[in-house]
Amino acid sequence: MNAPAIVQVDALKSGYGEAMVLKGLDLRLARGEVMAILGKNGMGKSTLLKTLMGYIRPAEGEVALFGERTTGMPPNRIARRDVAYIPQEKALFQDLTVEENLKLALLRDRDFKALFARIDDLFPFLKDRLRQKAGTLSGGEQKMLLVARALIRQPKLILIDEITEGMQPSVIERLVGILIRERDTAGTTMLLVEQHVRFAFAVANRYAVLELGEIPASGETAEPSAQATVSRFLSL
Amino acid sequence: MADSAYALRASAASPWRRALLAGGVALVLLAVCSVVLPTFLVNNLIRAFLYAAVALTVDLLWGYTGILTFGQSAFFGIGAYAAGLIFTHAGFSLPLAAGALVAGIGAAWLVSRAVGWLAFYHGASPLYASVVTLVLPIVLVQGIYSGGEFTGSSSGLSGFDSFDIPLEAWFFIAGAFLICLAVTAWMFVRSDAGRLLVAIRENEARCEYLGIDVSRYKARLMDTCAVIAAFAGFLFACVQMVVAPEYAGFVFGTELVIWVALGGRGSLIGPIAGTMLIDVGSAYLSGNLPYVWTLLVGVAFVVVIVAMPRGLAPVVAIGARRALPRRRRADAEPVVFAVAKAREHGGAEEARPALSIRGVQKHFGSLKVLDGISFDARAGELLSLIGPNGAGKSTLMRCIADGAERSAGSVEIGGTDIRTLAPYDCVALGIGRKFQTATVFESLTVAEALRIARHRVAPPSKWQRSPVLELPQPALDVLRLTGLDRMPGRECRYLSHGQKQALELAMVLALEPRTVLLDEPTAGLTKQERTQIGEIFVALSSRYRMCLLLVEHDLEFVQQISSRIIVLHQGRIVMDGGVDEVVNSELVRSVYAGESHAAAGTQEEGRA
Amino acid sequence: MLNLGLDVATTAAILFIVSAGLLMVFGVMKIINFSHGAFLTVGGYASVIVAHLGLAWWWGVPFALAIGFVLGIAVERFIVRPLYARPLDAILATWGLGIIVGQIVTLIFGRGVQMVASPVEGAIPLFGVQYSAYRLILIGVALVIALALGWLLNGTRLGLQTRAVIMNEALARGLGISSSRVRFMTFCTGAALASAAGCLITPLASVDPNMGVPWIVGAFMLVLVSGSSLLSLAVASIVLGGAQVLVSTFVNPVLGGLTIAVLAALLLRFRPEGFARG
Repeated sequence: MNAPAIVQVDALKSGYGEAMVLKGLDLRLARGEVMAILGKNGMGKSTLLKTLMGYIRPAEGEVALFGERTTGMPPNRIARRDVAYIPQEKALFQDLTVEENLKLALLRDRDFKALFARIDDLFPFLKDRLRQKAGTLSGGEQKMLLVARALIRQPKLILIDEITEGMQPSVIERLVGILIRERDTAGTTMLLVEQHVRFAFAVANRYAVLELGEIPASGETAEPSAQATVSRFLSL
Repeated sequence: MADSAYALRASAASPWRRALLAGGVALVLLAVCSVVLPTFLVNNLIRAFLYAAVALTVDLLWGYTGILTFGQSAFFGIGAYAAGLIFTHAGFSLPLAAGALVAGIGAAWLVSRAVGWLAFYHGASPLYASVVTLVLPIVLVQGIYSGGEFTGSSSGLSGFDSFDIPLEAWFFIAGAFLICLAVTAWMFVRSDAGRLLVAIRENEARCEYLGIDVSRYKARLMDTCAVIAAFAGFLFACVQMVVAPEYAGFVFGTELVIWVALGGRGSLIGPIAGTMLIDVGSAYLSGNLPYVWTLLVGVAFVVVIVAMPRGLAPVVAIGARRALPRRRRADAEPVVFAVAKAREHGGAEEARPALSIRGVQKHFGSLKVLDGISFDARAGELLSLIGPNGAGKSTLMRCIADGAERSAGSVEIGGTDIRTLAPYDCVALGIGRKFQTATVFESLTVAEALRIARHRVAPPSKWQRSPVLELPQPALDVLRLTGLDRMPGRECRYLSHGQKQALELAMVLALEPRTVLLDEPTAGLTKQERTQIGEIFVALSSRYRMCLLLVEHDLEFVQQISSRIIVLHQGRIVMDGGVDEVVNSELVRSVYAGESHAAAGTQEEGRA
Repeated sequence: MLNLGLDVATTAAILFIVSAGLLMVFGVMKIINFSHGAFLTVGGYASVIVAHLGLAWWWGVPFALAIGFVLGIAVERFIVRPLYARPLDAILATWGLGIIVGQIVTLIFGRGVQMVASPVEGAIPLFGVQYSAYRLILIGVALVIALALGWLLNGTRLGLQTRAVIMNEALARGLGISSSRVRFMTFCTGAALASAAGCLITPLASVDPNMGVPWIVGAFMLVLVSGSSLLSLAVASIVLGGAQVLVSTFVNPVLGGLTIAVLAALLLRFRPEGFARG
């Protein structure tokens, strides 16, 4: 059972300039696992995803995706390895249409019809708005479009940065359902960065707390002590 | 806390003694050369000297301050044509010559004012400024062309009378002009005020938030350089007794930039050497291989820009340093910190709120980021702004420090309405802003950076380097606590992240603000550094009676040091009160850290 | 009156043709390619070569496109790419390249001015006025170029990727788009277009090693005023080109040459986005 991990991070030190935000992280995600990275702001969660995605070059340490060393690879090459990334800010092309936003994630334009048909039952409202500019959708619809764009390319790994921020509870529930379905039917590996603990625990089977660039606590979300551990780190 | 007054150490040998000595030696050499060198070379060198003087102005503007200008040739041309026109149409005499010089300099100054108005304003892009300097010589040349007989059109003016002095004398005059200019420029860029040029090039925004009117400074610099270039042009016309539109055009303007780039921008001596070598070189070589010479210069230029942006001067300098015998390198003049006299704070000032925000709104198109923000902040308060991402905290900070940011509402600093004032004017009202990412000046030393911060309060000398730097006590406290007071000569680029944050805080405190805005000051700091900086903040508000406004994510930190917390959510204030009140409020929990606690309650019945 | 209108239309068309390539490069790469003039010159000399070879003039256009594209590859790789983070230096380096090309062309062809015969001589009657046929053809050419570029940008995958890179390069890369490939293609296309434009203007003006220089500043200003929108460029060409024609006709041809630069500089002072939708 020693299949290569989908995500393998060793002694990762990364940050901006001399500000080392991540101070020696180790992480391992096997196929089909969903891990939630929890922590307060400024603790390095976004930096972790950006480093995995190749936007930031780590100062020390190694990143391997699907068993292949990706340290220092540029974002577009990592994306080509079936990694979908939903950034926290400026994640959509506001002036492009819904269809164009979705097509940009694909390798070939002509696959669009077939691939969209596979997911359009998850996002029923999108079908009628393909020609609309993405910026005219409501906040919740835009977030859903982001998820659709991530899923349409059938990725093997999804990285999501605080997607529930500013989302209505009803939309969050729908999102939970969509991600659970993806996890169970497609076996997609996911790494969720979150502050919304209930959402995270609903979808993830593992969790890790990121504090001041290190992981002081991690485990399975099913453990009875998980909630208490997490609350301790996130409490006001 | 005793008044700290460090003993003044003896200042190092005065820098301008060395400069004057070098200048004197050069003048003697010049006099000797004027009689010794062959006439052809003397002729070329006169021209080269004057071009080098203009190249020097390009280096001051571009190499030091970062303003890419193609327009210095226009000012040269104005000076030259002033002489040419007056001598051609009114004849030559000493009073007329004086008049021509004044006219040339005056015209150049006026044109420079116009260029300054167009190109240097708060928010201008550097690309646009360069565009304006490119258009200037084009417009001037077209103006000359359309002047017909009066300006000589495309053939220029020639055959007019000028000073009747021998070539050797002109050699000495042109050379002396260059040497005096070089010495003065050298003393200026090394002086305390001259460091501001580098600061502007490296971080204009920081300068503005230190209360420096950067646009006005740039415009004044350009005015000075325009006058110098016009003077050089005047001398040129007097020597050559020919003026032509090529001397005012943008091809010449770009040649100047090329010479500066090849010689070494930002080094003064590099552009002089580069100009003289290339200009004299082309006089000798371009006769034989005209296009090949220009081609080689072009290739060298492109190679230098792409691969060696600092030019050839540093390469030469390193080589020279290795070749010359080792001398004991004079230390950079030591700088000693001392305490500045505290400004008097009347009791009346404490009665007025330090900050008064009323109904502030900010929208980007249809997106409303801030809505109806109103609150007061008083001296001695440590007010923390918290809220989820996207709540508008950083936007609010910007709206307080920059009068042009907000879409509606009013902001008063110390009782004065900021209307649409630019950041440097807001600083004058008593507010200081510390950015989230430490923005200091990489090439400057700690002491130089702090002196720039004191610019508004204590304008630095334009020719000297003062060995003493007076700072207000709070700034000195920060320096002492973080060990920065023991490294005044360390370049900022070698500081650690935490040290840069501390330096920036000290720079802001050097402004002697009554209100300080701090944007996520603990980002990236170690636990120990966080504690240190927390103590500093508490001291600033309680001991020095400043009003501190913090944007923070680290809630534990906020809880420990704040006297009051305002919670922002989706652009509105949802709560404003004391620490205990806010921390224990249900509303805040549900809005901000809420989900984690709401989850704690429902987890028992929820799914595993 | 009609003559004036046609003058405005044809001037706008010529300005558009000359500036389109520069706009593409500026929109995607956010730098001003000062070697644009050199590519114009190269295209002009492509016509000369075609004439020497005895071929019909129209062969110059594809020939110019090809040379421009190939030259663009080398320039992008060795000069523009290393200067991506230093836009002001990129202006200087591309200007230096212009000098180099100018000197090489002089060494090969000599300094002299060459004339290239126009493929379409004479004037055609239009609504009762005799107007230069070639100039009218250029209006058509400008429209063709505008439509072709529009189709490339809006109807092809590369065009969609290019628009994405213009809007948000980091996001585009995160979706798998190779922004360096997009920039490369854009630069080569812009260079090829500039070269073709140089070829197209040869019947109207003489060919000499510095023929590109007078066009640079005007094109440069038009691009700054248009941002990254082809539509804005068309509008700017008509408005500023029209102003140039009016000033040249009614005031002074010399001042006419200045109109575009001066008006654009003033416009940008008060409205930094120019004609683009703010």
